Amino acid sequence: MSEQTLLKVQNLSASVEDLPILHDINLEIRPGETHVLMGPNGAGKSTLGYTLMGNPHYRVTNGTITFDGQDLTKEPADKRAKAGMFLSFQNPLEVPGISLGSFIRNAYHEQTGKPVKLLQYKKQLGEAMELLTMDDSYADRDLNVGFSGGEKKKAEILQMLMLKPKLAILDETDSGLDVDAVRTVSKGIQEYQKQKDGALLIITHSTKILEALHVDYTHVLVKGHIVTTGDGSLVEEINEHGFEKYVRCEGCDGCNPNN
Amino acid sequence: MSDNNKAVVDIDRSVYDIKDVENEQDFYRMEDGFTEDIVRKISEEKHDPEWMKKFRLDSLKIYNELEMPDWGPDTDELDMNLISSYVRSKSDMKGKWEDVPEDIKNTFERLGIPEAERESLAGVGAQYDSELVYHNVKDEVADQGVIYTDMESALTGEYSDMVHEYFMKLVPPTDHKYAALHGAVWSGGSFVYVPKGVKVDIPLQSYFRLNAAGAGQFEHTLIIVDEGADLHFIEGCSAPKYNVANLHAGCVELFVKKNARLRYSTIENWSKNMYNLNTKRALVEEGARMEWVSGSFGSHTSYLYPMTILKGDHSTMEYTGITFAGKGQNLDTGAKVVHQGKYTSSLISTKSISKSGGIGTYRSSVIINKEAKHAKTSVSCDSLMLDSISRADTIPGMDIRTNDADVGHEAKIGRISDEAVFYLMSRGLSEADARAMIVSGFANPVSKELPLEYAVEMNNLIKLEMSGG
Amino acid sequence: MDLNMKVNHLPALTYRFLKSNNSQIEINDLYIENTKTPEPENIPAAVSVKSDATEADVKAIFEDANNKIKAKKTELPGPNGDTAPLNDGQVVRTGMGVEIDNLMAEMNVPVTVITAAEGTEVKEPVFIRYALKDGDCVLGSQVIHALKGSEITVIMEYDSDTDAKGFIGIQTRLLAEEGAKINLIKVQMLSEGIMHFDDIGGVCEDKASIDSIGMQLGALNTWGGCRVTLLGRKSKFNNHTGYLCRHKQTYDMNYVADQMGEKTESEMIFRGVLLDEAQKIFRGTLDFKSGSAGSVGDEQEDTLLLSPDVVNRTMPMILCQEEDVDGRHGATIGQLGDDTLFYMQSRGIGEEEAKRLMIRARMESIARMIPDEALIIRIQQFIRTIL
Repeated sequence: MSEQTLLKVQNLSASVEDLPILHDINLEIRPGETHVLMGPNGAGKSTLGYTLMGNPHYRVTNGTITFDGQDLTKEPADKRAKAGMFLSFQNPLEVPGISLGSFIRNAYHEQTGKPVKLLQYKKQLGEAMELLTMDDSYADRDLNVGFSGGEKKKAEILQMLMLKPKLAILDETDSGLDVDAVRTVSKGIQEYQKQKDGALLIITHSTKILEALHVDYTHVLVKGHIVTTGDGSLVEEINEHGFEKYVRCEGCDGCNPNN
Repeated sequence: MSDNNKAVVDIDRSVYDIKDVENEQDFYRMEDGFTEDIVRKISEEKHDPEWMKKFRLDSLKIYNELEMPDWGPDTDELDMNLISSYVRSKSDMKGKWEDVPEDIKNTFERLGIPEAERESLAGVGAQYDSELVYHNVKDEVADQGVIYTDMESALTGEYSDMVHEYFMKLVPPTDHKYAALHGAVWSGGSFVYVPKGVKVDIPLQSYFRLNAAGAGQFEHTLIIVDEGADLHFIEGCSAPKYNVANLHAGCVELFVKKNARLRYSTIENWSKNMYNLNTKRALVEEGARMEWVSGSFGSHTSYLYPMTILKGDHSTMEYTGITFAGKGQNLDTGAKVVHQGKYTSSLISTKSISKSGGIGTYRSSVIINKEAKHAKTSVSCDSLMLDSISRADTIPGMDIRTNDADVGHEAKIGRISDEAVFYLMSRGLSEADARAMIVSGFANPVSKELPLEYAVEMNNLIKLEMSGG
Repeated sequence: MDLNMKVNHLPALTYRFLKSNNSQIEINDLYIENTKTPEPENIPAAVSVKSDATEADVKAIFEDANNKIKAKKTELPGPNGDTAPLNDGQVVRTGMGVEIDNLMAEMNVPVTVITAAEGTEVKEPVFIRYALKDGDCVLGSQVIHALKGSEITVIMEYDSDTDAKGFIGIQTRLLAEEGAKINLIKVQMLSEGIMHFDDIGGVCEDKASIDSIGMQLGALNTWGGCRVTLLGRKSKFNNHTGYLCRHKQTYDMNYVADQMGEKTESEMIFRGVLLDEAQKIFRGTLDFKSGSAGSVGDEQEDTLLLSPDVVNRTMPMILCQEEDVDGRHGATIGQLGDDTLFYMQSRGIGEEEAKRLMIRARMESIARMIPDEALIIRIQQFIRTIL
């Protein structure tokens, strides 16, 4: 796993409406690796996801985001998607009038620039939906309109499976799901991991979804700083002890508790 | 409603309704109607500078040329030939409460005006019929350089240039028929200037009392809040009930300079023979904020739509209003806003209640000009119908000329839910009290914007309306 | 002839400076050569067609309903600036108003009356197709009459040759008798050289309903009005309008749900897109008349503005004379939201394509309610061509 770096985040700081949220983030993800980003509520986890994907509400104040050798720091989200980045949203968009199936087809076409082979596409879509225990009819339903929380999350994972990104960032994909749905979503993620070189950055504050997944690295984000990085075992440690030891210096914004 | 409450309510009504007899030797009354002769007489009476005399005569010409609007409440019963444009006490304006003539003082004391001044106001002006009879500003406020004076003194005194510069520039006499009339026969009102950076912590207040039967009140309020300054101005209005029509065609011009803030609150409780054809307008410069709080309870007929021009970038406005239309009332109220600057925002939120055959109309216009990029507006108007002989109409208009705007509009009409009444009754309230409580709750977003004593007054007015026919 | 008419009166007037109280149709040197409605196609056995009815025949059809309306009139005051008296002379009050009646009368336009027999339910739509050639100037008038307990669907399609210039003005009046249902679908895909007006007026008796779907996708200037009088108890009016205006196209509309009966329901939805220098004025009114106790009404407008040069005017009114009603109106007007755009972009869809996608989605959400696959495909093709 010591191939060339896929995502390289260097000294990244970001603000929302002039409020600094992320401070000096450094992160490297290589193809095929699974990284987990954990941290208490309000630590800036989702901000990191949005900033990586290029949400215009989040302003990069310092540092760079390099992906697959390209500096994407200033590029709009569609360029990043075309480069192979994917973000699974916590609250995905609802669009009346456009079906889930045709939306994915449109996105696929925009990303590859190639015409979609309809039969092959339908077959793939059918298989992926089956894996996610989604009824066929969902492909014809309006994008996320009237979907339950669980169905929306599945629809996001479905898009990930169909669009085959190089790096998928999953933002709290497990939140608000029941046990069965978490298992299903997890199956979808495993399927993606099987793909050659599919890398993952899983943002979560619980550990349920990680049980069946192989984790290479775990990062803990507190108050906008990555305060520690470890391997998969760190997940279990946090599972048992929580984040307490990482948030001990109240009011301090810049120190590393491991020092 | 319990007998106890009723007694309180009845006393309240009597407070507003006391008619003070104005005898000829103490009061000067202009003959009825609006002619050139009358306008010249007013001008003379008031020792106008030459420009003002000309302004009045020009305005009268415009008044005679303009037509009545075809869209609002009927004004056929308002006979302009029977309205006296000018009535004043023969005594001069006083700076000390003790010096105000006894009968006028009694009226205001019954309304609780001097009491309010002592307790919570930075300054008070009291207008009786056409002229201010009392004016006082607290020393600490005056020391900050705040000017609060009657319009007449302002017109001829130290600030005459400023008055000349601003007077009816925002509401020109050509604006509509009653603006023209105002320009011709205005008298009384207040002039306020808050210098740069001065924050007036407690409100200034004007109280208007129209006592004479068949009279018109045409006061002019001109407020300039200079850069970075902050002011809350409160206006209260009342009059006793007569069987002939009275007319109120005041004009309020507000200039809110860069980064300043002005809050303008009104509790209007004119008697139900009043035609309230008032014009209020604010010009808001860069980064400044205009806030309107408006309660309309009185009048026979109202046309009242305070207008805000968001001229400067990042300027904002908020309008919170409530209208209660009871028996015999046709209250057509709302707000107007024009977005001119970039990143401007407006928030209009109104409540309207119709009862016992009253007609309540919410009317508004929101204009977003092409230059007003990133403008944001949100309008929400709720109406409550309390029976099926009344009317509640919602007539908003929007004219959006840029795509880079965020426009939200919501209107609702409904009734008091039976479940809510039942719930309160199950807790021991009478049906009438339960309904009154629900209506007060409906009005709460407005009353919570008012200073406490006004919120109390407003709630009393609601109770009064709920119990009265 | 020269057309000079005031149409689309707001039910209650407002400030003159908003210039929305009514609209003027001014077209000079018009030579109307055709006033006959094209032969309806696909007529099932339960439906009869009379193609040369007169205004007197129409009066007779609506007589009973009109008597009931008259009986419901009260002495209670109307809204401030009430415009009802202007249009009181209409046989059936329509959205555009009395001057359309006057024009039809002046030009002796024959009325095609489509009648659904009592108690029959016809799902297969009846088609009326207008196909304009360059220079065509057309007027047309129809009545759709659903007798007791019947259901009928009529699709009217306005097409033209590409680049055709011309004029087409239509009035369609509807009567749904007790328990009957009329589904009226109008799809306008005219070329941008054509002026068009389309006026609808309907009456619903007890438990009757009118469902209307309108798609305005072409023409240069379009005036559209629709007024449905919910006369009977538990009668219903549903409307879905989708419009797409670009270049210098204008769309001027006036929709009114006149709720007279007890427990009536109205729902009106408007979804539109304005591009380039397009202008639109929307007037939509819920009018709860005295006696409409237990009624509900909902009006939702959603407009996407995609150019800095568009003009969007919106007059959403609620008039109310009855305590026990529940009425609401909501409007959302603006450009593509940042969140929408970001989501699309995160899937690799760029801004321009995202806009096209959202336009198509809006139109599609209305189009797919049309019970005719072939027409939906034609609409999709039309939209694809013009985008």
